[in-house]
Amino acid sequence: MTTPASSSPARIGRALPTIETLALLAALVAPLLLGESPELITLATNILILSLLAISFDLCWGYSGIMSFGQALFFGVAGYVIALVGRDLEFSHAWGTLPLAMAVGLLLSFLFAAFLLLGRRTPTVIFVALGTLTGAYAAERLVSGWQYVGAGNGLSSIKLLQFGEIELVEGPAFYYLALALLLVCYLAARYIVRSQFGLVLAGMRQNEERLAFFGYRVQVFKALIFSLAGLLAGLAGALFSYHQGFIGPGNMGPGLSTTAVLYALFGGSGTLIGPVVGTFLIETISYVLADQDAIKQYWPVILGVVLLVVVVFKPSGILGFFVSRRERIGSYGGRSAKGGPR
Amino acid sequence: MIEFIVRFSFDILAFTSVMVLIVLGLGVIASMMGIFNFAHGELVLLGAYTVFVVEQSGANIWLGILAAPLVVGLFGVLLERTIIRHFYESPVIAMLGTYAIGLIIREVIRGLLGGHYRSVSEPWPGAWTAMGLSFSIWRTFIIGTTIAVIVGSWLFLTRTSFGLRIRGSLENAMLARACGISTDRLYTATFAFGAALAGLAGALIVPLYQLSADMGLRFLVQGFLSVMLGGVGTFEGPVLGAAAIGALAAGLPWAVLPVLADPLVFVIALVIVKLRPQGFIAGARK
Repeated sequence: MTTPASSSPARIGRALPTIETLALLAALVAPLLLGESPELITLATNILILSLLAISFDLCWGYSGIMSFGQALFFGVAGYVIALVGRDLEFSHAWGTLPLAMAVGLLLSFLFAAFLLLGRRTPTVIFVALGTLTGAYAAERLVSGWQYVGAGNGLSSIKLLQFGEIELVEGPAFYYLALALLLVCYLAARYIVRSQFGLVLAGMRQNEERLAFFGYRVQVFKALIFSLAGLLAGLAGALFSYHQGFIGPGNMGPGLSTTAVLYALFGGSGTLIGPVVGTFLIETISYVLADQDAIKQYWPVILGVVLLVVVVFKPSGILGFFVSRRERIGSYGGRSAKGGPR
Repeated sequence: MIEFIVRFSFDILAFTSVMVLIVLGLGVIASMMGIFNFAHGELVLLGAYTVFVVEQSGANIWLGILAAPLVVGLFGVLLERTIIRHFYESPVIAMLGTYAIGLIIREVIRGLLGGHYRSVSEPWPGAWTAMGLSFSIWRTFIIGTTIAVIVGSWLFLTRTSFGLRIRGSLENAMLARACGISTDRLYTATFAFGAALAGLAGALIVPLYQLSADMGLRFLVQGFLSVMLGGVGTFEGPVLGAAAIGALAAGLPWAVLPVLADPLVFVIALVIVKLRPQGFIAGARK
C-alpha cells in the first residue's frame, strides 16, 4: 500500500472540504453551463442519482466493512414499487412516493441485515458478501420471469413524478430536485459518520474484535448502517425509475451492484465525496466514449482493468492522491475544547 | 412410477456432475488459500470458448475438449503468479480483485463472440436406451468423466506424497512451511488445478448450453452456495453441497412454479448455510 504523498501537517484537514465545496459549486452551475443540451442535463441527473447509490454502497464497505454485492437490489425493488404504484394506483405525488421508496429500501435492507448479520453466531465476511450477491441474483431472476412486473422487458412509461400540479420531466427541474435530495442525504450521511456513532464504525473498521470486547454489539451497528444505506439506495432507485421512465431486471442485479462498487472504489472509498467523484468520472468517460465505436466495445474491459488496478495498487482510489490518510479516517464528535460527554 | 424415478435421478445426476466439477475447483481454491474466486465462472466460460475456437478452426472437437483444461490451467498459473498472490492477506479484497478479472475475461470474450449466442454440436449425439427409456450419450459421458475426476483427485490426495503435502498445508500452512514444504508453489499448483477443472467443466457443458458471455455467473453463484453448504476446507463437502444444490435445482420445478423455483433454490441454500455455517462435513466431524 502506498501512503498518500500529502502527509505534511499543513494540509491535514484541508483537502476534503475544498473538494466538497468545489463539487457542490460545479453541480450548482452545471445546468447553466450545459445550457440547451437536454442530453447532457440527463447525463448529469443520472450521475447525481447513481452517486446516491454509490454513497449507499460506501456507507457499507468504506465505513463499516460490509462487502455488499447487492446494493442494487434495494435500488431496483424501490424502483419497481414506485413504478407499480404509478401503474396500478395512479399515484406519483412526491410527498408520498419518495418516502415510500425510502421505507421500502430501509425495510428490505433491514430484513437482509437481520438475516445476514444478526443471530447467535457472528457471520463471516464471506457469508455476508455472498448473501448479498445471492439475494441480488435471485431477485433479478425472479423479476425477469414474473409477468406481473413485466418479466424480462421491465416496466416502461412509468407515471411522471408529481409535485402538486406539476409533473416533472427530465430536465433542469429534475436535476435540481436530484441535487437537493443528494445534498440532504450527503449531509445526513456526513453527520452520521462524524458522530459518536461514526466513531464506533471507525473503531470496528480498525479492530472489530476489540470493539466487541469493549461491549459494543458490533453486528447491531453494522445492521443499522446497512439499513440506512438501503434507505439511500431505495431513494436513488425511485429517482432513477422516475427519471428514466423505465426500470428493468438489469437495474437490480449483481451487474449494477458491482458498478456501484466500482464507482466507490475508483473515486475513493471511506470518504463520502469519493463515490460521487467516481460516479462522475466513470459516467462522463463512458458517455464520451459512447461515440467511439472502436473503444466503446471494450469499455467494460477497461472498467475491469481499472477496478483491478485500484484494488491491487491504489485502495484509496482517486481521492487518495489528494486527501491524506489521516483526513480520510477523520475526526469525531466535538473538538476537545468544547468536548466532553454529552 | 419406476420410470419416472429413473428419469428423474438421471437428470439430477447429469446436472449435478457438471456442478461438481465446477465446485470442486472452487472448493479446492477456497479451502487452500481462503480465496473465493469470483472469476471461476469466467474460467468455465474460457474452457467453453476454447472448445468453440478449436471447432471453428476445423479441428476435431475432441482436441478442443482436451485442450480446454490445459489452456485454462496454464492461464490459472499465469493469474496466480501475477495477481492472485497479492490477495492472500484479505479475502474480501480477493473477491473484488477476482471479480475484476472475471469481468475482463467475460467482456473480452463477449467482444470476440460479437454478442451472439453460439452453439457447439455434441461430439457423440444420440441416445442409448435401457428399459424402454432413452438417455443422452453425452450426458452419460459427462457423468462418467466427473466420477473419474472425483476418484482420481481422491486417490491423488490420499495416496500420493504430493497429496500428503497438500493435506498438510491445508491443515496448518505455517507448520508445513516449517517442514520445508513450499506452500508458495503448492498454491500455484492448486490454483492451476482448480482452473483446469473449471476449464474441463466448460468444455463438457458447452454442447448442452448455448455459448454466451454470461453463462459464467449462474454457475458462480450456485458454486459458491455449494461450497458454503458443504463446508470449506474439506474434499467431500463441496461435492455433497453440489449434489444438494443440484437436487434442489432439478427437483424444485416439479414442486412449485418454475418462475419461483429458480430463485427459491438460492434462498433455501442461503438459509441452510445461515443455520449451519460450518457446512455439512465440518459439522459432522466435530
